[in-house]
Amino acid sequence: MILKFFNVILLNGGIMIRTLISFVSLIILSTSYSALAKTKVTWSMESNADRDPIMIEKLQNAYNNSQGNYELVIEFEDNETRLTSMRTAMIGGMGPDIVETPGPSYVKEYHAAGMLENLDSYAAEFGWKDKMIPWAYSSGVFEGSLYAIPKTHESMVMLYNKTLFEENNWKVPTTLEELEDVAGKIKAKGMNVFSYGSDGWQPTHEHLVGIYLNNYAGPQAVYEAIIGEREWTDPVFVEALELLKKHMVDEGYWSGSLENYYAIGWDDFHAQFANRGAAMMTIGTWTFQATQLGIGASDDEWGWAPLPSLSSQSPDPNFMIAIGTTMSVNANGKNKDGAIDVLNWIMSNKDKVLDIAKDFEFGEMVVPLTLSSSDIPTDIAPQVQDYLSEYARITGEGNYGYCTWTFWPADPGVHIWKDMEVVWAGDISVEDFLYDHQKMWDKARKNGDTLPVPLRN
Amino acid sequence: MKIFSNKNFVAWYFVFPVAFIHLFVIGIPSLASLALCLTDWRGLGEINYIGFENFIELFDDRYLKKAIINNVIWTIAFLTVPVGIALTCAYLLTGIKRGQMFFRLAFFFPYMLASVINCQIWKYLFHPIHGLGGFFERIGWDFLAVSPFTMKSTSLFAVAFVDGWHFWGFLVVIYLTGMYQVDNHLYEAADIEGATKFQKFRYITLPMIRPVFVFSIMIIIIWSVPVFDYVYILTGGGPAYSSEVIANYMYSQAFERFDVGYSSAIGTLMFFYVMIIVALFGLFRKAGWDI
Repeated sequence: MILKFFNVILLNGGIMIRTLISFVSLIILSTSYSALAKTKVTWSMESNADRDPIMIEKLQNAYNNSQGNYELVIEFEDNETRLTSMRTAMIGGMGPDIVETPGPSYVKEYHAAGMLENLDSYAAEFGWKDKMIPWAYSSGVFEGSLYAIPKTHESMVMLYNKTLFEENNWKVPTTLEELEDVAGKIKAKGMNVFSYGSDGWQPTHEHLVGIYLNNYAGPQAVYEAIIGEREWTDPVFVEALELLKKHMVDEGYWSGSLENYYAIGWDDFHAQFANRGAAMMTIGTWTFQATQLGIGASDDEWGWAPLPSLSSQSPDPNFMIAIGTTMSVNANGKNKDGAIDVLNWIMSNKDKVLDIAKDFEFGEMVVPLTLSSSDIPTDIAPQVQDYLSEYARITGEGNYGYCTWTFWPADPGVHIWKDMEVVWAGDISVEDFLYDHQKMWDKARKNGDTLPVPLRN
Repeated sequence: MKIFSNKNFVAWYFVFPVAFIHLFVIGIPSLASLALCLTDWRGLGEINYIGFENFIELFDDRYLKKAIINNVIWTIAFLTVPVGIALTCAYLLTGIKRGQMFFRLAFFFPYMLASVINCQIWKYLFHPIHGLGGFFERIGWDFLAVSPFTMKSTSLFAVAFVDGWHFWGFLVVIYLTGMYQVDNHLYEAADIEGATKFQKFRYITLPMIRPVFVFSIMIIIIWSVPVFDYVYILTGGGPAYSSEVIANYMYSQAFERFDVGYSSAIGTLMFFYVMIIVALFGLFRKAGWDI
């Protein structure tokens, strides 16, 4: 019998052994694959054709190559669609591991619904607080605990055509009088004072409202109104918005007229600034890359300056502080440890993060890590280098204002831009507008919807 | 068991899959939306019952009133301009023997384009720098120097014009189909009696296409309620709420202000408004109208 058995094996051994070896190899391979396979960490990110390849190369791939436990997968999507689908998924107890939002008002909503992971213990373990600019860290603190880390922070600046200003001996305005004086001269040359418009992004109005509130009424008054120690109906805010209305509607500072301001979009106002259709531009620092590619590629040189002081109540130059996007960890995510690891990689690799920001001329992925002057890359536009130094110096001295999209709760945050059109149209007075605004703040305060605001020195 | 194999039940087997999908995709969300209008839900987190608070706020909302008025203007505009042009063109087309298909295609073409494309075309045409306005300005005319989408006095009509431009070709096709159903003998008899072209249209064509015509009126009234895409893309409801419509306002409340409860209350109003229109048409049918 035994001989007969061996005889069968010898006769059919080739096939049998091969099958056996294949089967065993398959088991070994699949076991080793599961041992080697990294756990996936998902991140839903706003898509942008120019930005995405850099994010893949310098964030996703760089992180994945740096360790062997997790595989970061960034899923890019149009922001509006992304926010709706992410919200739906999170209501259903799913969604990405890393939750990216457009700002603290969104974080507030997710936090109130218990959908975000408390990051306090990780912040303490990895020392995140010491690595970040204090005001930026506190923007993610809700009810005493950290729930979000800014992915990018930004401010508003005034850009100007330096060559044009030098040719005409114009002075870059630092006060209201100087602004109105140079505006008259610019208009006399047949140009628009500022290049800007809201087509494609109606909330653009809030950039201007924020500038006038902070640079006329002053950051201290704005701060007091945010924390509820001053009413928005205060005459100083009325005067600020009356001045904005005068400059927007009567003087047509932005793109020549209110109607043109409504009709001009991102590409148009960059083109207008680049081809001398306008001498200046009021815009956020997210524009640095586009500015460098626009007017930066022309024969003219561009410069920047802090926004002019518009009254004696705001005499010193200030920078409005703002959070562009935030990063949080999904409390119901499949891989919370992985998500924390990605955030810690970002917080711990200053050089890598600066390298990404450098590719966007510090208009994007400007994680608010504490920087020294030696950290600022030298291979970026000199204007951006100057801005980074000045921003750090001036905000370090406590001269900072407040951008509406970071410190206004959702309802008044929409009212400030959407209903401003009604004021500009002359349908309601500034007083009535601010009366409604105050009512919305009262309601938000009563419902606990206000957002974190850093204490003022 | 015999009842399930009954011939009368066969139709229900075919209807069931669609009805089942409708129940989950439309029925349950609609009921949920009706329930949410009595809450303060912000789209995330806990839901609190607040009774009729949203409706009280709703009747005090000046911008909602503005949106409702704009919807009424929109409906009237659509019931007159595109219907008038489409009826005239369809009637004139019936008299064209050669090249009729070209005109039918040309009129219908905008209807086949996505709303985003239609909007971008007109946005560029009315653009103050790159559009017709910029072109005329360069040759010394101020005509169209300002985009009608950005003026408070014209924005609603400008958006309605673009939507109407895309829509009227559809009406031409359905009116034309109705006109081809009219018995030719009636026109021959009218010719013998010496009727003019207008008289033939007034006394033969119009009464004979009444079912199609009334159907078009009904869909225009119903479709004018949730109008959204053209407003959203072209003006966002601005400037200063001048082109705001109910659906756009509802969207803003839900996705910009996170006030889903209030937004659902607006949706409920729209639902009842459409129900009233459908019920009215049902009554007309019962009263013997041939619709």
